[in-house]
Amino acid sequence: MGAPTEPVEDKLVALASIAAELHSVMGVVWSVSLAGKNAKVISAQAGDKGLGFRPITESIDEISQQAIRGVDDISSEALRLSKIAVHEQRSIDAYQRFNSVIKKNVDAKYIKTILPAVNKVEQSMRASISEFKKSMNNLTLLLETMDQCMLTARAVASVSRIVTSSGQEYRDKLTVVSNDLDKAARYIKQRLLNSYRHLNNVNAQR
Amino acid sequence: MKATTIYDKGHQWIMFGRDPEKPESIIDTNQYMIVAGNRALLMDPGGIEVFAPMLGAILHHAKVDEITDIFASHQDPDIISSLGLWDQALPHAKLHSPWLWEGFLRHFGMNNIEYVGIPDEGNELNLGEVDVRFIPAHYLHSSGNFHVYDPKAKILMSGDVGAALEASEAPLFVEDFDEHIPKMEMFHKRWMPSNRAKNDWVKRVRTLDIEYMAPQHGRIFKGENVARFIDWFEALEVGVAIP
Repeated sequence: MGAPTEPVEDKLVALASIAAELHSVMGVVWSVSLAGKNAKVISAQAGDKGLGFRPITESIDEISQQAIRGVDDISSEALRLSKIAVHEQRSIDAYQRFNSVIKKNVDAKYIKTILPAVNKVEQSMRASISEFKKSMNNLTLLLETMDQCMLTARAVASVSRIVTSSGQEYRDKLTVVSNDLDKAARYIKQRLLNSYRHLNNVNAQR
Repeated sequence: MKATTIYDKGHQWIMFGRDPEKPESIIDTNQYMIVAGNRALLMDPGGIEVFAPMLGAILHHAKVDEITDIFASHQDPDIISSLGLWDQALPHAKLHSPWLWEGFLRHFGMNNIEYVGIPDEGNELNLGEVDVRFIPAHYLHSSGNFHVYDPKAKILMSGDVGAALEASEAPLFVEDFDEHIPKMEMFHKRWMPSNRAKNDWVKRVRTLDIEYMAPQHGRIFKGENVARFIDWFEALEVGVAIP
């Protein structure tokens, strides 16, 4: 007897799960963005004393904006992929049922009249399969970009800690921001990992 | 899927049903088709599960592009959940169904077929060689519901009215009306919600000259059994689930 295997997640469930993972990320990204903007204000208020913090606060703001766009893009692509998958599934279902009609009714007087519909469904099925592949590649790229963005976020958080350790009156506030950024980046990384796992389940079924 | 021609004088009425390959767990259904020259009207074409046997059976009688019209008496899954598949098989067809159900029926998937909403008062459909009438049967059992009457063939396709729950190998026609009553009594008492709607329908169909009454489940009523059914139905108390 072989080792028990985990049941394979349904393709449509897997795609919906990616959208759900990313949905949970959006709130975190927005709060980081807010904190980033807050950090910019703090450094601006500091005048000349805050000059040293500005590159860091600019970076935090830039990363959070990039993350918001990334999450949006990934969610849209996952939704598009779900729609293509549903369309593909419907075409495959129709194609299989039409073919079973042909196989079981070879003697039907008008059996050939179904062939144009079969061809059309087959074309639609192939178009969906090809579109699905393209969209899968896009989604993989978007996830990779987001992953890279989170690596950068963690690096910025580390640098930020070093810079703030040499700062004075704004140190506490900026430390909170950089800690939040690091925490958010770790959280998002975990969600991205989960998304990759769901994506692998989709790939396993193709 | 068995196909039986129940009328053949200039145009044909074909009944499809009693499918021996139908899964036990789904209710047996009767589907009907009128073939008039190079046009055909498919009535209550059935659920997804019967799509392939139905299409196979149809192709013995009509070409795909001759099926120009589909009728769905109401929105139930055993009536029309195959719509998404017909939509791909008959992209140029028209679906005639209660206007009330359009937004709901489109959930079955309809990207090609044209929806032609039937107004509450009913209307007619010209199939070239024959005109059929969509007879209002609202609340029997659905809130938007029609039957199809063919005055030339004197056939009323009566949807769920006259339906009986019985084995899929049951005969096609009611032979002994009294013996048939227990097979349809519970169905009508429970599924038909309104005595007022029932009596309105009874009044309306009594004005029609009907030789065959063809329901969507069970057996077809012929000759004097049609009048016997209408009398029996008129006397029946329906909507029994409300204490």
